[in-house]
Amino acid sequence: MLRIENLSVKVHDKEVLRNINLEIKKGEVHVLLGPNASGKSTLTYSIMGFPEYEIINGKILFEGKDITQLLIEERAKLGIALAFQDPPAIKGVKLSHLLKRISKQPLDMNYFSPDNNLLEREINVGFSGGEKKLSEIMQILSLNPKLAIFDEIDAGLDVINLERLMWIIRDKLIRSGVSLLLITHRGNILQFLEPEVVHVLLQGEVVCSSRNWRKTWRTILRYGYEKCRECKKRELCPNQP
Amino acid sequence: MKNAENVKSASYVQINHEIRSIFAREGVILLSSPEAYATLEWTRNYFNQKPIEGYFIWVKKRVDYPISTCFTISLPEAYQNPTNLVVVEKDVATEIYSICNAAKPVLNAEHKGYSKVILRENSTLKMKHFHNWGKNDYVLSSIEFILEKGARLSSFYKCINPPKKFKIESKTTLDNESSADFETAVLAKNGEIEMYDSLFLNGEKSSGMIKLRMISDENSKISSQSEIVAKGGGKGHIDCMGLLLSESSFINSTPKLVNANKNAVLTHEAAIGKISEEELNYLRSRGLSKDEAVNLIVTGFLGEVPV
Repeated sequence: MLRIENLSVKVHDKEVLRNINLEIKKGEVHVLLGPNASGKSTLTYSIMGFPEYEIINGKILFEGKDITQLLIEERAKLGIALAFQDPPAIKGVKLSHLLKRISKQPLDMNYFSPDNNLLEREINVGFSGGEKKLSEIMQILSLNPKLAIFDEIDAGLDVINLERLMWIIRDKLIRSGVSLLLITHRGNILQFLEPEVVHVLLQGEVVCSSRNWRKTWRTILRYGYEKCRECKKRELCPNQP
Repeated sequence: MKNAENVKSASYVQINHEIRSIFAREGVILLSSPEAYATLEWTRNYFNQKPIEGYFIWVKKRVDYPISTCFTISLPEAYQNPTNLVVVEKDVATEIYSICNAAKPVLNAEHKGYSKVILRENSTLKMKHFHNWGKNDYVLSSIEFILEKGARLSSFYKCINPPKKFKIESKTTLDNESSADFETAVLAKNGEIEMYDSLFLNGEKSSGMIKLRMISDENSKISSQSEIVAKGGGKGHIDCMGLLLSESSFINSTPKLVNANKNAVLTHEAAIGKISEEELNYLRSRGLSKDEAVNLIVTGFLGEVPV
């Protein structure tokens, strides 16, 4: 589904990602772990094609097609959708209007039961953390994507809202065979979603891609992210699963 | 011209210099301004000069329908010069929708409209005014609001198809406990827009807000001067936001606050810039092209995205 080969990315003349290799197959759930400023968001924005993220080496393939030079909207139309960590406010535009505009599949609003008249409010204007995530997941589902990327999925969410979001992701995306790439800092998300692969990103490099998320998470909890770089079993978890 | 019985609205339509329809139900008197000037002597106190065209609307009772007015120019190089007077009586609430437009994109027409709106004690008026012009037209829109004690005004004013040159003036005086909220949204393209708004808080506990949304597209210039003057102890706020869409765009916004009463609070905020890349990227990630994303942000900024 998504294959990233030797990707290096520069932002404002600074190299932020180096030689990233990663492959997500159809229907797989991948989680990206890493400390702050390790380049996780840069990787998601690079996959989506944001102009300020300059690809200086490598390529991104989606369903076998090289999308490295494609525009953001072209990637979206191919089936890549990104849920933002902190989405910007679009003043004067109601969420219902945007959903109607972008919709590739109808949504059952009763399923989401948005509170506080969320649909009739301006997009992300005064939204709480939970409302932002609900708005994002509704937009993602409307787009009927093949690959959904969630940047810092747990940011700004309380336990109840996080659990609600996880249920929606499992029910509406994973069960439909949508591939997922999630950035998170919470172990209970790993436990709930049971990803096929976890990747650890350190200082712009993927230092581990493991099919044993429990082991990797335990290592991180006990010794911190840096241990992943020193890990003697790294050979068992090569960059490309 | 007709004065229809049993119609469920009140309406005034003028094309070039001809009144195409004028009618009103019980509770509203709707006349041409020259007729009002001739037959209702008291109106002469409010017309600055003898009107040659325009409408007079006198809302005497609460009505459950909006009153609509329309000025259209359809002839090349036509010149309209209406003088309008609106009086809303004590305790009455009403809504007025107005359109001023050109029927064709290139008429080289001119429209100079002068209006005065009197809101009697504790009356309420919601006003929506839309302008839609051709690229070589010249337009002046000047309006004066007089709010008596406890009166409430909400004005929404918009122009997204601007003329070559557009001058918009408003002057509002507020008595005790009255309030006026102005929201004006304009888009300039290959032309110039000048706006002058003055709001005088003369009474105690009066309040006023001027909210401007300005978009300057290619080869255009927008200048706005907004002032609130507090003589009484009220509250006033100016909120000016501008977007530049092109290298050849220009916006000059000058908010002015004059406070002559220590119990009054006057504030302003202003920001002029380009559309944020973050907003564009966000909408493009939903599959909208760059142009579609810009259009959506612009229409949202001007406050008119339908659902």
